[in-house]
Amino acid sequence: MPRTAKKNPVDNIFSLVTAAASFSVIILIIGILYVLLSESSLAIGKFGIWKFLSSTDWDPVKESFGALTNVYGTAFTTLLSLVIAIPVAIGIAIFVTEISPNFLKGPIGAAIELLAAIPSIIYGMWGLFTLSPIMSNHIEPFLKKIFGSVPLVGILFQGTPMGIDILTASVILSIMIIPFTASISRDSFNLTPSVVKESAYAIGATKWEVVKNVVIPYSKLGVFGGIVLSLGRALGETMAVAFVLGNNHRITTSLFDAAATITVTLANEFTEADTDIYLSSLFYLALVLFVMSFITLAIAKFFLLRAEKKYSR
Amino acid sequence: MTREQIRKTEGFIALTLSTLAAFMGLFWLVFILGDVLVHGIKALKLSLFLNDPAPPGVEGGGLRNAFVGQLLITVCATLIGVPVGVLGGTFLAEYARGRGIARIISILSDIMVSVPSIVIGTFIYAVLVRPIGHFSGWAGAVALSIIMIPVVLRTTEDMLSLVPWTLREAAFALGAPYYKVITQVVYRGAATGILTGILLSIARVAGETAPLLFTSFNNSFFSLDMKQPVASLTVTIFQYAMGPYDNWHAQAWAAAFVITVFILLLTITGRLIIRWRYK
Repeated sequence: MPRTAKKNPVDNIFSLVTAAASFSVIILIIGILYVLLSESSLAIGKFGIWKFLSSTDWDPVKESFGALTNVYGTAFTTLLSLVIAIPVAIGIAIFVTEISPNFLKGPIGAAIELLAAIPSIIYGMWGLFTLSPIMSNHIEPFLKKIFGSVPLVGILFQGTPMGIDILTASVILSIMIIPFTASISRDSFNLTPSVVKESAYAIGATKWEVVKNVVIPYSKLGVFGGIVLSLGRALGETMAVAFVLGNNHRITTSLFDAAATITVTLANEFTEADTDIYLSSLFYLALVLFVMSFITLAIAKFFLLRAEKKYSR
Repeated sequence: MTREQIRKTEGFIALTLSTLAAFMGLFWLVFILGDVLVHGIKALKLSLFLNDPAPPGVEGGGLRNAFVGQLLITVCATLIGVPVGVLGGTFLAEYARGRGIARIISILSDIMVSVPSIVIGTFIYAVLVRPIGHFSGWAGAVALSIIMIPVVLRTTEDMLSLVPWTLREAAFALGAPYYKVITQVVYRGAATGILTGILLSIARVAGETAPLLFTSFNNSFFSLDMKQPVASLTVTIFQYAMGPYDNWHAQAWAAAFVITVFILLLTITGRLIIRWRYK
């Protein structure tokens, strides 16, 4: 920046205004943290930190609240959706970078990214009216027939398939996060120097061997960052799951059970909370979610920055 | 089988699966959009835009209040979010270019872009709804603008960084102070990019529901008063889709159709502009 240019008084004002605008991001983060902390102080005082996180109670009548059922639901749906989404997303990235003819690369990539532009409420509504009946009538009975009697795995497939359950919610979440993982993986794959790939081809490797042994190892930092970023987004997704998860505050083991995530609990109960401790516990839940997703997203950013640094060398 | 055959078969299977994955992605896109299209067009009537909601369970009525409310909230959010975002991005790319603080704010903004929107709803509820005593359109607009600021800020920063430094030097050489260089040279060079970023950020917040649930809430009557609860399409879709009446469901599909088309058009326009301008 040229030092002489700063002497102008209007310039000083303009630089201060822009500085204030950019510091608003920091102020917002600190503000959100502070407000959530002070709003939940009543619940923090009553339930403590560890007791709140480990209690399965969620009883507005007895005014006893714990986060475990919500955190469990969030973790369960998020992890299951990642299990479904990661192979598909990486498959898409492989197709777009290595297999697809050139004229299809752009359109298919753009189409997948359009999935990310559809608002989450549309996903939720589509899930409720279209996907949920398909799941309960066809896919879930089928899964139950195959896996229901298998020891250990069978636990996941107990109960009556209703379509309003963990599995349906996870499938919708996975569709929502596929574009994020896929486009970051694609960008990372594209950064593999073609010289390295060509050397592998030259010693007789097949296309899949090049992808598996050269491209993926080379770009694993970026792909991993993309996966963690998707995890962070899935943690905070509200509307897509609010329609199809039920709102069930119990620890359940079957994929066919209704559950509650932090976001779904907030969406359904926030305006109904009639006592101070109830509302304060909901703020406490929001605080837990904010901290969880902030840390996850920070980790994702860390890996993506490391990847960027590595490739730019 | 010889080793070569095993390697070839393995490769064939893996590549086929990848191709299937790509088609699965396309399948979901076509499935979801097709579904919204079919159900939405069926329920799309002129009365939807002209009438206000009928009492629950009564046939007819429209969503005029929600269309207008959505527009009002989104425009107000844009009016708050865009100036802050553009000015903030200007600071990062110009005055603080290359400094540690620019990097920190840039990283924090990237994180803020993905922070759960429902948390922002609870935050605004605590600062703007409860102290005042009732839900309001302004609270909803502020919640959306908080989501918008980091998006606009980051794209502005990126777009300003693309403007060649020599262009600024040319202006400095004429004796222009930095603010004039920024407003008259740098902004002009980056205008298309910044506008695209704004378009995409509007597309991003127009479909948000979670931050509006506890801020602008809902209103079954037509209202232009931003100090009162204001209906929005997204919250109405949530309420109607979860409700028990068939005509509510139909109207929810129609609303979903309108909002999806609007957002996809904005997104596609934004991307086309980027491609046309920067590639």
